[in-house]
Amino acid sequence: MISMRNVGKRYVPDKPPALVDVNVEIEQGEFVFLVGHSGSGKSTFIKLMLREILPTTGSINVAGQDLIKMRNWKVPYLRRNIGCVFQDFKLLPNKTTYENVAFALEVIGRSKHVIRTQVPEVLRLVGLEDKIESYPDELSGGEQQRVSIARAFVNRPPLLLADEPTGNLDPATSLGIMSLLSRINKTGTTVLIATHDREMVDSMRKRVIALEGGRIIRDQSRGVYGYGD
Amino acid sequence: MGINAGYFIRESFVSFRRNWVMSLGAVITIYLSLLLVGASVGSSVVVNNIVESVEDKVSIRIFLKDGAATEDVDALQAALLADDRVKEVNYTTKEEALEEFKATMEDSPEIVDQLEVNPLPASLDVDLNDPQDVMDVVATIKANETFPNVADKPEEPEKSLKYGQQIVNQLFAFTRILRTIGVAFIAMLAAISLIFINNSIRLAIYARRKEIGIMRLVGASNWFIRTPFLMEGVLQSLIGAVLALGTLGVVTVYVMPVVREQLPFLPFSISSTATIQISLILVVSGMIIGAVGSAFALRRYLRV
Repeated sequence: MISMRNVGKRYVPDKPPALVDVNVEIEQGEFVFLVGHSGSGKSTFIKLMLREILPTTGSINVAGQDLIKMRNWKVPYLRRNIGCVFQDFKLLPNKTTYENVAFALEVIGRSKHVIRTQVPEVLRLVGLEDKIESYPDELSGGEQQRVSIARAFVNRPPLLLADEPTGNLDPATSLGIMSLLSRINKTGTTVLIATHDREMVDSMRKRVIALEGGRIIRDQSRGVYGYGD
Repeated sequence: MGINAGYFIRESFVSFRRNWVMSLGAVITIYLSLLLVGASVGSSVVVNNIVESVEDKVSIRIFLKDGAATEDVDALQAALLADDRVKEVNYTTKEEALEEFKATMEDSPEIVDQLEVNPLPASLDVDLNDPQDVMDVVATIKANETFPNVADKPEEPEKSLKYGQQIVNQLFAFTRILRTIGVAFIAMLAAISLIFINNSIRLAIYARRKEIGIMRLVGASNWFIRTPFLMEGVLQSLIGAVLALGTLGVVTVYVMPVVREQLPFLPFSISSTATIQISLILVVSGMIIGAVGSAFALRRYLRV
């Protein structure tokens, strides 16, 4: 699903690089944590997979497509295969829960029929079927994050990226979000979560890739967060 | 691509409403510039009509001296008639010239009454097939050997001839100046409209940067993100064009008849084909300005 070979990224020529010689293979259906301090290269990693940026060296393959050779106009079609969840939810405040999720289908040209069947279904999956008409400011943080997960998943992408999905949430709510992501993973979707959340990582016992100074310092299945132990 | 066009139209109207101040500014500048385009195209049509009607009246009048030999006059007339640029040649006697003069002076007959003798010369009136030939035919007349024998003032050939070319030349010079000034103004206003549209689209992009970010995130194609903004620019300029057309329509219907009454000797009129052409020019150039202006803004402010 994701394959990085000797990937390096240097933003400014004379500064230390953001990523150095990263080699990662993530298979279809895996559940992976990407951990590391701020500045360790997590965000660069995510941006590379979305092809917001290109690496300085190395090759990247996501969902069967070579991102280096990919033409710019094809990038949107790559992103249809990658659901994205962020710390700040990125919901539109003037749209209801339903409309926020429907928007994601609308703008990639899905038919009204598809929207009418898929949106309620995914909202049931994330447990928000009774908040369909609520606006984001009427929802709690956890509920907003569920909306954003619903939006990321409504198109049934094979890959779901989450960048600090629980960064703004209390532990109990975070647990709910994690179990939701884990449920989505059980449907066969590859899930990659970049996070600081030590307890979450330790309790889930999933594969952990640890970054430090732009290098992968650890990659273990059923791992723990691991710093300062 | 089977998405309903309704989405784009709805989006561009919503955006238009959302920052209506900038949109209004763009609409007004486009309105003014297109109004000027329309006015200058329309007036050049009118002036061309006038020029043509003057050209139609272009004939060369050769003033004859009193007592010119009849055979010389006949010879000149025959020579001119033999020229295939000449349509017809009419002889106007002194008495007919006086009658004509009386007719133009009917408001003040006392001037005519004061005349003791008829001071007006007889003349040959030469009508041409093509007004363009006036200067050539004038030269031919001057070169004709019987012309000095019959001319009213043989030593000053120019004064024995009267033709409308002078007027036509002046009119053409006038329209040229008018057109140059018009083009300069239009270019300026077009530039200003471009800047305004550019700005209003930039604001529209800024107002919707969050939505754009999400659209990119979920994989909306580039043209899908761009189209509403492009359409908004075109919408603004279309509104401007329609307003300009309306204003010009009001001018033609209510102002032209008044002008025509004031200046009855000039044929102020615009044919319906010219009207359609002007409308097309306005609408098409408006849409081009709108599309180019918003395309600029998209290139600069919308990285997709």
